[in-house]
Amino acid sequence: MQGRNCTTGKSSTAFKQELLKNLLRGLRARTDACAFSAMSVHERKRAVKSSADVAMAAARGVGARWPKAILAAAAASTSSNRSSCQVRSSRFRRVARRCFFREKRRGPAAGVAAASSVDVARRLVRRRTMALRKVIPGGDAAMDEASLLREAMDYVVHLRAQVDVLRRVSEAMQIRSSLLRYAPSSIHGQEASSSMRQ
Amino acid sequence: MSSRRSRGGVSEEEINELISRLQTLLPSARRRGASQASTTKLLKETCSYIKSLHREVDDLSDRLSDLMASMDQNSPGAEIIRSLLR
Repeated sequence: MQGRNCTTGKSSTAFKQELLKNLLRGLRARTDACAFSAMSVHERKRAVKSSADVAMAAARGVGARWPKAILAAAAASTSSNRSSCQVRSSRFRRVARRCFFREKRRGPAAGVAAASSVDVARRLVRRRTMALRKVIPGGDAAMDEASLLREAMDYVVHLRAQVDVLRRVSEAMQIRSSLLRYAPSSIHGQEASSSMRQ
Repeated sequence: MSSRRSRGGVSEEEINELISRLQTLLPSARRRGASQASTTKLLKETCSYIKSLHREVDDLSDRLSDLMASMDQNSPGAEIIRSLLR
């Protein structure tokens, strides 16, 4: 049985580390450009969520379609969002451009058969995959059911990794800030490190 | 080899194989074992699973956002977190 390898085991750790690295960089870039305290609560939450998604998409790279969709959406919202905070996040624009370039080089998708029975079948398939397409970034693109299923699997696997990384980061930060509050002497996150062990 | 090419060149078997692989990712796979749910049901379940993962990401991002706002601005927490993964 071949088919694409869903990220499990060893490569999952590598992906999470890449995600974490991207996340920390992205968050730092945003806080450097515009102090978190200057943002509204809503803007701050949107910034963190966007950083998390961009970090996940960048860590995944070009093996799937959904990362490009996330990066494209993030780049679009940054350029249109001329409000209080202008973050010059050239990094994910660079990644988005690289992803787009590769997509163009691959050339157009296969032609469409004109037989009416094929159209009917395709319409039925399209209807039942409609809900799924809405929740997968880039899922609304023209894709046969098999590709959509592969995208779904890939996306689920990496979403779970994203949840895991975010949870660990929150826990580590929480532990650290409570440690600082009650024992300001030099304390390293030793409780947090035990939770990070694979 | 009777592969019905009714989905624009993709065989029925391939779809079924993908569906069963997808099923192993869903939370219900751990509970019920290898039960043969219909494709439509599995697609719906995948949909709601993705939505629940989205909600988790949103909640965690919110929590992280609050934590960051209440911490010092020079983000030394990043150093600690990086050292945890070495």
